[in-house]
Amino acid sequence: MATVQTQTILRDPQLFYWILFPITAVMVLTGVLRHYATVLMQSDPKKQELSAISEQRNLLRGVNLRTNHNQIPLSSFIARKNYLVAAYNRGDFLKDPENKGKPPANPMTDPAGMDQMMNMLKGNMAMMVPQTLIMGWINAFFSGFVIMKLPFPLTLRFKSMLQSGVATRDLDVRWVSSLSWYFLNLFGLRSIFTFILGNENSADQMTQQMQQMNPASGNAMFAPGQDPNKMFLAEAENLEVVGGQHEWVLDGVVDRLLKSRV
Amino acid sequence: MAMLKLLLSYLSIHPSPLRNPSTSLHLSQQAPAFLSSSESTKDTQETWLIYEQLLLSCLRTGDDSSARVCLQRLSGRFGVDSARVKALTGLYDEATSNSRGELESVLQRYQDILKEDPTNMPIEKRRISLLLSLGRTEDGIEALTSLLSHSPNDAESWAHLSSLYFTQGLYQQSVFCLEEVLLILPNAYNIFARIGEVTYISASAGASGTNQTEAFEEAIKYFARSVELSEWYLRGWYGLKLVTGKFIQAKPSDGTLRKMESLNQLATEKLLQIVGRFRRNEKGWMGFDEAEILAAKNLIDRDEQKFSR
Repeated sequence: MATVQTQTILRDPQLFYWILFPITAVMVLTGVLRHYATVLMQSDPKKQELSAISEQRNLLRGVNLRTNHNQIPLSSFIARKNYLVAAYNRGDFLKDPENKGKPPANPMTDPAGMDQMMNMLKGNMAMMVPQTLIMGWINAFFSGFVIMKLPFPLTLRFKSMLQSGVATRDLDVRWVSSLSWYFLNLFGLRSIFTFILGNENSADQMTQQMQQMNPASGNAMFAPGQDPNKMFLAEAENLEVVGGQHEWVLDGVVDRLLKSRV
Repeated sequence: MAMLKLLLSYLSIHPSPLRNPSTSLHLSQQAPAFLSSSESTKDTQETWLIYEQLLLSCLRTGDDSSARVCLQRLSGRFGVDSARVKALTGLYDEATSNSRGELESVLQRYQDILKEDPTNMPIEKRRISLLLSLGRTEDGIEALTSLLSHSPNDAESWAHLSSLYFTQGLYQQSVFCLEEVLLILPNAYNIFARIGEVTYISASAGASGTNQTEAFEEAIKYFARSVELSEWYLRGWYGLKLVTGKFIQAKPSDGTLRKMESLNQLATEKLLQIVGRFRRNEKGWMGFDEAEILAAKNLIDRDEQKFSR
């Protein structure tokens, strides 16, 4: 009694050649184009001044000393710590010592920060413009087509995902509309781009969006807008704190070595 | 395809071909064939890596014409203004100059580049090594310290400075620089052994104000740490054996003598094992330096004679 009703819809087989295939091809091609456009528009990383480099690296020296202080004898550690803490507190390594007490510069007026923002804007443009265009193109020409049937059944929840643009309540979820095919392509082409363009491509939008969500990775330590003097003072304090916990790795190394033998 | 693959696999077996004359010779002999092959026009990362290595090894073995071609193609691809190409060009000029005057003019050019762009690290390093090869050690040390004052996390430069101080007999400064390297690379076993060597040498040279036995004990600790990190580090075991031997000779009165004797024995065993396996051409044991193996063998023999007497 419970015969499963299968909907059959007569589709013109030409739909495949004139909708399904063109959408896919256009999506892949825009991806490739976007990749090369981003590569082309990227400006070279700006050369830093020597004083800026010196500021960063001298701060890193303090970090290194703090993390690896157990590698050197206590006396050597104390000597280095005293020197670095005094220099940090005086602000010897600052790029521009006269701005010491002032609040950090507004990133909008800082030329280095401006550069970074320009880059971000360019990336966004390269994503937004083609996306809007293709969406408009599909809406204008192909909206309302049911173009294919998935070979497996799905639950009702997928209806809004697979059948956007086709407002019928009773249509089986397995039917996919053209607009939905566009969205599936948009999100699902990453592995194809990786195959065509290699790992570090900028064709896929999802990866870019994820990067923007999480800017903390990379060189965020020296992001514009941070007050380097405060970072130096904090590092000086960290060094003072760590000074009480020094344990030289060479203490007892001979015993360890002899013990490992048996 | 074959040529490119061949060179890449060779480079993966010998990651730094310049360290050894025979590998650089082998590499430079491949250069003319590679340069005329069709793969040399490919624009991939690997190709340019090979170009750089070929350039360096050709310069080392005196194949200046191949080096010239490599340099031309590199500068054609990356532009003459690229910091790395500039340094390679300088290197080429240094290697092909015949007189002191020419070298001085190269030095002058480095100084001009640095005046224009003081952040060009490759050129700054070239300038330092050129100063040293011109025999101006003091200027070299000064240039190195100025480099380290703005880039104190450059381990290579610290190690270099340490060896320069060592040649000048400034052992404490040398150890200081090596400690800086350790702060950057905390597991560098060779640096631990090197500190041990410097400590031992400065103690045997009778540096003022140091107690010799104490210094020996410290050197032993450093050597022990190096072999704790890397079990088959020949220099570490060698130093351990040598210094514990000296320590036992000095006949300290306290209870450390027994410990030192067992350390000495352990080092002897390990050295014998390394030498034996190297002599038998065992697989995986061929990476040792021939001269170091010989020195280790000599040390063991000397010790045995002493005991048998």
